Amino acid sequence: MGIELKEYDLPDIEIFHNTIKDYKFHIWHPDKIYLILGQSNKMETSLFLDKVELDEITVLKRPSGGETVILTPNTLVISAVFVNPEVKRPHQYFARFNDFIIKGLLISGIENVNHKGISDLAIGEKKILGSSIYHKKDKIFYHAVLNVAESIEVIEKYIQHPKREPDYRKGREHGEFVTSIVQHYPDKSMNEITDGLIKSLKEFVN
Amino acid sequence: MRYIFNFPDIGEGLDEGTIVEWYVAKGQQIKSGDSLVKMETDKVVADIPSPKSGTITAIYGKVGETIHVGNALVEIEIEGVSGAAAVEEAKVTEAVKEEGAGVVGTLEIAGNNAYMPASDEGTSETKEESQKSTKKVLATPVARAMAKELGVNIDLVKGTGPAARVMKEDILLYLQKNTVTSSKSNTVVSDEERVELKPLSQLRRTIARNMIQSKHNAAHMTVFDEVEVSELVRVREKYKSKFLEKQVKLSYLPFVLKATALALKKFKALNAQMDLDNNQMIYKNYYNIGIAVDTEDGLIVPVIKDVDKLSIFQIAQKINEISEKTRKREITMEDMKDGTFTITSFGSIGGQFAVPVINYPQAAILGIGRILKKPVVKDDAVVPGTIMPLSLSVDHRIVDGGETARFVNQIMEYLSDPVSLIMD
Repeated sequence: MGIELKEYDLPDIEIFHNTIKDYKFHIWHPDKIYLILGQSNKMETSLFLDKVELDEITVLKRPSGGETVILTPNTLVISAVFVNPEVKRPHQYFARFNDFIIKGLLISGIENVNHKGISDLAIGEKKILGSSIYHKKDKIFYHAVLNVAESIEVIEKYIQHPKREPDYRKGREHGEFVTSIVQHYPDKSMNEITDGLIKSLKEFVN
Repeated sequence: MRYIFNFPDIGEGLDEGTIVEWYVAKGQQIKSGDSLVKMETDKVVADIPSPKSGTITAIYGKVGETIHVGNALVEIEIEGVSGAAAVEEAKVTEAVKEEGAGVVGTLEIAGNNAYMPASDEGTSETKEESQKSTKKVLATPVARAMAKELGVNIDLVKGTGPAARVMKEDILLYLQKNTVTSSKSNTVVSDEERVELKPLSQLRRTIARNMIQSKHNAAHMTVFDEVEVSELVRVREKYKSKFLEKQVKLSYLPFVLKATALALKKFKALNAQMDLDNNQMIYKNYYNIGIAVDTEDGLIVPVIKDVDKLSIFQIAQKINEISEKTRKREITMEDMKDGTFTITSFGSIGGQFAVPVINYPQAAILGIGRILKKPVVKDDAVVPGTIMPLSLSVDHRIVDGGETARFVNQIMEYLSDPVSLIMD
């Protein structure tokens, strides 16, 4: 039957298409599993297609760069749009925005989160958040996925080792490279983490 | 004047990007700020706007191609500017490059060497400066790769392509002119039929990454030795048919695995890993041995877990299962996880000794060469013997020479007296 690759149409894309303020942010956790390809990713080299097809997983291609990610009900998707950005360099947006995510996690009692690679957040050497950017003329669309409680087996099941990787990954397989917040903070809930992030990002907006 | 717009640094400090989509075509009228192309770097996709209004006269690169920062993206014909005015225009353009319309970071705008006036008037100064320029010469990716491969300084090659871009043919012509009398010249003349381009498979990329990681991070040291295994040959012959009755093939490998696992229990450093980030050694009290398997697609290393707790029959069963899974291409990530030591049995294909590359971050890898009949000395008499060659590579950061030699001795002791494998 084959797998259909669709354009990214998840809720956060709305803030990209309908910007009426200088910038907006959007946080949500998906209702089911989605696999999201980066702009130049190909399904056959990014995914284990047999498993994806068997489990009827939806595959989408997002407008921003980077490697393939998985969205599940145990992840949080954090997106933001900046219109007429004053700062021109994307890495400064990664740094600024990810700083506010670190602050939001601190509000929820999650410590020891640090910047890694170009645009990741990690606990120790293990990744908990990846982000990417689409810069279109007058606006920047930032898009991040935070692994709150998803098991690494789910990632390993569907996603191949990426063709490009940050230096700090050092060739590690998903199981040795990725972690989730609940592995380190088992008592934290999705709602608690979301509340902390919203508080921090409101401060960023204001 | 004709203006060359180069691929700018879009802000990650990376030196290349991939073309995702072209928004313009040759002959199209554009305004300053119009998007020209969608480019992707590691984490960013960015629409690159034009810094000039005019007509597109050339676009460089196809969708999917990688372009280096500073290489030409498009040529724009700016109407009504020529000669001395064009030179002034170029100067003005350079002066305001930090304010390019919405482009992220600094625009790489045509320098003197890339500026192409509509006529030859007033260009002598420009040409002189061009010769002094240290900017990278324009070249197609194929030509650049070919020059690198053949050791040609591309800056010395005269380009015949658009905007004096160096083409593949220019490299070949340069070689013909400059290497005619060289004995190497016969080997470097190239045509398309003599090379085949094939995309790297995921497995080949993984192998490449792991090998480089090992060679970069581990301090490789290899020791070689030979063990006389006549008794092992006799034992194997005796039990081969009995195992076959239970549909299990018995090779020498189960004995080597068992001997290795038992030796690892005595020499823990060989089963360890160095954790520099936390300034500690990790000694593993489990003995999961990976077996390097040669497949059509490339090398894979499935792992047999807790080898020290398995009998020779159980190990042989596991090896048979791995062979079957490999044949059916059913080996999974789970089958290849958590190895603590690796064995590569290249002797079944050929060769006696090798310098195996450590399966990083493991501490060591043991290579088994082809088993041969050789004269050996026993009780002061030269008699026919059966020799198994061993090659052990260790990470010298983790293991010292003495311990390495003692570990090999222990394995040899087990293999020369296979009954000891069940006595320990």
